[in-house]
Amino acid sequence: MTPEGKALATAEVDANGILLSAGEPLAGLQRRSGGELPGEIAVPALRDLVAKARRFGIKLARLMTASDGEDVIKAWVEVVPTDEPGNGATIKVLTWETSPLPAEDVAEVDRRKADIDRSLAELNAELDAAQAVLTVESTAEDLTDLARSMRTGVGRSWTDFVKIEGDSHQQPLHWRLLDGARLKIAGSDRGWRVRLHPRGGNSGAPQGFELLLIADSPATVTERIVRPARQMPSNAQGLVGRDVAPVLRQPIARIIANAETIRTRLAGPLADEYSQYAADIAAAGQHLLALVDDLADLEIVESDQFNTAPDRIDLADVSRRAAGILAVKASERGITIDAPRDGETMPAIAEFRRVLQILLNLVGNAIRYSPDNSQIWIRLEGEGARARVIVADQGPGISAEQQTKVFTKFERLGRSDAAGSGLGLYISRRLARAMGGDLTVESAPGQGARFTLDVPADLLASAPRTAQDPD
Amino acid sequence: MTLTKPGYGDAMIDNAAQSVTAQTVEDALNEDLAHGDNFVMTVTPILRHLVSSNEHSVFGDEIIARVRGMLAHIASQLLDAVVLAEGETERAVHPDTDIHALAAQFADDEQLLSHLHAIAMEWQLTERLSARLSVDPVLSPLMQALIAAPEAGTAGLAMALMASQARFTQSQRRMELPLGELPGDILHSVLQALDASASPERAEHVRAASHSIRSVHDEARSRIGLMARLISGLGAGATAALGISHAGAALFLSALALASGQDRETVVLSTNEGQVARLSLALRASGLRLVAIAEQVAALHPDIAMPDDFDDISPDRAAAMLASSAVLPRR
Repeated sequence: MTPEGKALATAEVDANGILLSAGEPLAGLQRRSGGELPGEIAVPALRDLVAKARRFGIKLARLMTASDGEDVIKAWVEVVPTDEPGNGATIKVLTWETSPLPAEDVAEVDRRKADIDRSLAELNAELDAAQAVLTVESTAEDLTDLARSMRTGVGRSWTDFVKIEGDSHQQPLHWRLLDGARLKIAGSDRGWRVRLHPRGGNSGAPQGFELLLIADSPATVTERIVRPARQMPSNAQGLVGRDVAPVLRQPIARIIANAETIRTRLAGPLADEYSQYAADIAAAGQHLLALVDDLADLEIVESDQFNTAPDRIDLADVSRRAAGILAVKASERGITIDAPRDGETMPAIAEFRRVLQILLNLVGNAIRYSPDNSQIWIRLEGEGARARVIVADQGPGISAEQQTKVFTKFERLGRSDAAGSGLGLYISRRLARAMGGDLTVESAPGQGARFTLDVPADLLASAPRTAQDPD
Repeated sequence: MTLTKPGYGDAMIDNAAQSVTAQTVEDALNEDLAHGDNFVMTVTPILRHLVSSNEHSVFGDEIIARVRGMLAHIASQLLDAVVLAEGETERAVHPDTDIHALAAQFADDEQLLSHLHAIAMEWQLTERLSARLSVDPVLSPLMQALIAAPEAGTAGLAMALMASQARFTQSQRRMELPLGELPGDILHSVLQALDASASPERAEHVRAASHSIRSVHDEARSRIGLMARLISGLGAGATAALGISHAGAALFLSALALASGQDRETVVLSTNEGQVARLSLALRASGLRLVAIAEQVAALHPDIAMPDDFDDISPDRAAAMLASSAVLPRR
């Protein structure tokens, strides 16, 4: 006989200690404890147990005691950490028993409630025996005015400064009637609750009061400040990508749109020179926008947490799409792009989005540096476990010395025109390497340039295809 | 001593290194001094206890010998695991010096010590009950009833527990404790001490040994784990385990720990002569009435009288008193 037994419920915890899934009755307890599913484990005893098992790398099996506010729950819980330390865990609940919560010590409950009130209060004030204000402290922005007027009005009753809901009596009332009352405060949209804790012992009349104002909801202002800080650790994007780029994109896009309006004389007749200036503004704006995007990309590829999501893709398909996207731009200068024919395939393991980004960069460069009415070739090559895309142009070519520098950051090979940030090839190579591939160049001056993107081939997809499909 | 010999008389060391060495020497001396002070402060209370107590004292010679024996056994099992990780297939006999050096490391671990101490006291209690009240160390009346239980789950657990308790009596007679019987927290700190004690050339094997011990450990299959599981599965029927001559020492201690919300180690200590108040409160917190409490106290201490107005204290009040006492639950 084994002591295994059948689990009443199982649950999964991920590497960050988040409860991903849970069966009943555990799921219900998690929700009644104020947690979410998926979400952080909200049952304190379970949270401790899971943290321990994950830290030790040891299976723990214990009786867990929890409470949902109505019942005491005793459950036999086994937590099995997944093999690698720092990873998740599986929770098995084998027994589950509930009994009514025992009566609590009244004084203890009062003390705890007072502690909770104190930690939630956004305004604390000391009052004398007649409830007149002595000192005021507040951290809430929407209470700044109230705190200021209470401070200047020291010695007056605190009820002069607020509006107590549903009450028109002469203030101040007996403190027991005011304790728990609801308030309206000028300058705050939130609802407020009063707590008055008497000072000076339980016997006889209080010698003073502690006044606490507690809001129904947390301040929205503080929330906005807190959120980015909380996201920081898990966010692969850095300062530019997360904060600067979104803010910059909109105004730049506006500059470009307005410059285009002027250039195309949509708002009325205009001298040619001014139209030309507007075109320059639009072009500079486009460049700025591309630069912002490149800098955001740069931050991502240089981040420690950067990784790609490899998938089974077809390089021929990606190449055709890249050629299609840039076909108009190429035809403006009479350049034709010779992309892989329909029906050609080159299965590979890489991230579609990233490969497309690299090819757009390579073909875009080729268009930029090719003479008018020339041709750009996109060719596919498979060799064993590698799959390659080659982008070749008829441009001026790159010397051996330049080839060593072309993939470095901010390298523009001495060019000073408005186009390009000098980041494109650097980012492309980082992306290629992150996918287990590489980006290389072969060229000689006057001979055009050949950029080769090399990624792992999808051998599973290519093998049966050639066998079944003689085309 | 934490003083290190290298560095003394070494003419090559420069001034900076010298001052760093001087600082570390001073730190080491201060630490040793503090250690020594702690020791001096505890001498008198321990001595007073040793002089005034009887043979079943918490510091009896037998208890100390058992704790030492279990420490050495834990050390030797860890060395076995390291040797295994080094690729040896034969189990070697480890030199006494190795075992004692490692055991000495663990002796600083208070959690481990109090656990082993509790195990030793539990065993002493088990033997005492067997001699005086003929309660079998393995098959108490409650165990027999549980094995014959109609529910397959309970009966299966009881069978597993019986086998485990039989192994426990065997190993206690040899003053041993298998690693698998340690609670996860304690095993973790023992393994950390093992990792810390490893020489650089052995570190890799020690890590491998530590990993394999962690991966096979299963609290649910340990004796204490099985008992907790079995008792928690009994629900209200767990009260049956609160009669020591009916349940036997092991189940009684586990049941009382669960019912009164105390550490099992604390409960074991409370069976000692000077702890009748704690024991009685724990039994009261578990919902027992005066008659039943007096019965348990009489079974443990035949010559001690109980306060008779114990029923006036409600179980909740008793639990609150226990919770607010100085010996706090560790886990």
